[in-house]
Amino acid sequence: MVQLLKRAGIAMFTSLAIAGTCYAETRLQGAGATFPNPIYQKWVTEYQKANPDVKIDYQSIGSGGGIKGITEHTIDFAGSDAPMNKKEIEAAKDPVVHIPTVAGAVVMAYNLPGFSGDLKLTGPIVADIFTGKISKWNDAKIAEVNSGASLPDLNITVAYRTDGSGTTFVFSNFLATQSEDFKTSVGASKQVKWPVGQGGKGTEGVTAIVQAVPGAIGYVEVNYALANKIPFALLQNKSGKFVKASLESVSAAGAGAVDAMKDSLAVNIWNQPGEEAYPISAFTYIIVYKDLGYLKSPEKAKELVKFLKWSIGGEGQSLASSIDYAPLAAPVKAKAVEAIDALTFGGAPLK
Amino acid sequence: MQPPDPDQLGPAVAFDFTAKRAGINYDTILSVVTRACAFSILLMLAALLIVLSSAAMPTIKAFGFSFLTGHEWRSNELEQPRRNADGKLVFDADGEQIVDTIPPVFGALPVMWGTAVTSVLALGFAIPLSFGTALFLIRIAPGKLVGPVSFLVEFLAAIPSIAYGIWGLFVFGPFMQTYLEPWLNSLFGSVPGLSFLHFDGMPTGRDMLCGGLLLGIMIVPIITAISRDVLNGVPRAQVEGTTALGATWWQSSKEMLKFSRSGLFGAVMLGLARAAGETMAITMVIGNNNQIKASPFAPAQSMASLLANEFAEASGGMQRSALIEVALILLLMSLTFNVVARKLVVGKGARTAAAH
Repeated sequence: MVQLLKRAGIAMFTSLAIAGTCYAETRLQGAGATFPNPIYQKWVTEYQKANPDVKIDYQSIGSGGGIKGITEHTIDFAGSDAPMNKKEIEAAKDPVVHIPTVAGAVVMAYNLPGFSGDLKLTGPIVADIFTGKISKWNDAKIAEVNSGASLPDLNITVAYRTDGSGTTFVFSNFLATQSEDFKTSVGASKQVKWPVGQGGKGTEGVTAIVQAVPGAIGYVEVNYALANKIPFALLQNKSGKFVKASLESVSAAGAGAVDAMKDSLAVNIWNQPGEEAYPISAFTYIIVYKDLGYLKSPEKAKELVKFLKWSIGGEGQSLASSIDYAPLAAPVKAKAVEAIDALTFGGAPLK
Repeated sequence: MQPPDPDQLGPAVAFDFTAKRAGINYDTILSVVTRACAFSILLMLAALLIVLSSAAMPTIKAFGFSFLTGHEWRSNELEQPRRNADGKLVFDADGEQIVDTIPPVFGALPVMWGTAVTSVLALGFAIPLSFGTALFLIRIAPGKLVGPVSFLVEFLAAIPSIAYGIWGLFVFGPFMQTYLEPWLNSLFGSVPGLSFLHFDGMPTGRDMLCGGLLLGIMIVPIITAISRDVLNGVPRAQVEGTTALGATWWQSSKEMLKFSRSGLFGAVMLGLARAAGETMAITMVIGNNNQIKASPFAPAQSMASLLANEFAEASGGMQRSALIEVALILLLMSLTFNVVARKLVVGKGARTAAAH
């Protein structure tokens, strides 16, 4: 019996060894933001189907972890919702490139029993709600933009993210453009100290609060709200129009920012002008070094470039809208492809 | 038991335990290995303390004692326009507004408050329940029931804390939110002297009360199991003596509790250590707001839930260091509870044994 097991073990080991040496696999390791994780996983799966000799792994450990990983060269590419800040760029030493992959939006999800129709909100109202200045749903300011709707005499329960996140980064940055008081008392960051309400860990934590507490309002990513069928508010944009977050209105916000893309593609697309632009929109990025020499092998660098081009400049984009991520608008896509083409290996172009 | 009849033992059983096989001294090996095991555990604890202290050094240096008394926990910088004494904005030579950057501050008082309140609530819930169950098992329960009930109580301890958390989030919290809390809150609001406990707003089922009660349920098994053992250790002569003197059941039970009070206190301390360190479940029901509010219906944050919430995405060295300092405080707290508890339980056991 023991003999049999031993023989089986040896056979298995040798067959594994043979399988391993059959063809040279290229492995790419990415890590970072959780928000784009579903689309990145889809890209990886679909890409590997077409290219079986490439093995790509993306771990959604959070934007902060991704940036730490690329800075310390422990991963090949990083995902991040917030662009690297000055300090982080300095820590990375060599020049980095932010490549926008898809766009997302943050929506105001709410729970108002007995309220039907679309709730309308403006940036300043949302800022007042999240600083505790507006604490009732039938507040005059909310009633003013929702003329005709009957708003309940109900306390507002604010729900926020307790973990550091790109979502909080985008949302607090948007509110900082809407209210001077918010900017100076709460501030904009991946994690801020909210003066009122209660916190949930992750998008699912915030959603759980919103769904359980009548009168709650929280901020979540649009694709999460769409997938879970949670009602969310129309928001007034810079042009004064109330828009619903949709793939089109988020793409429109991205298109409005193309002029700002000069030295870096990491531009903010919240509060963009444009009739159709949804105001709390943001790109999510893949971050690599401009020179891919840190990958050590040119084959690996070529594969990474191929994967990026496939997902950002090609087929990947059409997969995005199928799971509620806004694809890049055409001019932004052109810029992103341009940036991918400009990547080098050991100083030499990869094309 | 009858001594074994040497004639009936087969050759295999007649083994000479003193024989050494082929020069291998198993006694020495065993002694070395067990010593190494014991020391490596001490070493791990020491390493844990050293690593945590050194990683927490930046905030220990920067905030010192005020880390324990500060009531603000803000991990982001704030930019505020500078104002002069009259409240007017200050501009520099080029006419640009001068903006002051306010660095992050870390004060652990809110999370210590959250841990303290939820732990006290948990004990308030768990102590009567546990002592009651233990007394029942020792003095009332018919022999057939003792086994199954003890097993079920101990089984509660085997349920993973995340399961408690999910139950708390989806079942217990909403139940409290709909039935118990609105009633309690209006009671607090209308009874003079209790109004400081009133929560301005609607209780949401994610607050210190829910967190505390959930922790209470979670520590019932450990307190019950230990207090049952402690009560079991009360000398039979003691119990029978009280009954012989004509004590009622109630009086003799009271004497029993009195006799084993330090052991019971130890059981409570072990429960407290577990309540203070519990992480996953409390994170889901405490509401996660770093604030100090008297009302049990206010969302709060415990030390453990703060770590669970913030550690993964902690940005910047200071936040990381501050979180590690909280972990260090938690570790030292639990260590103190455990040492005190052991002393009480073990000390009691030793005395009981000596009395026999």
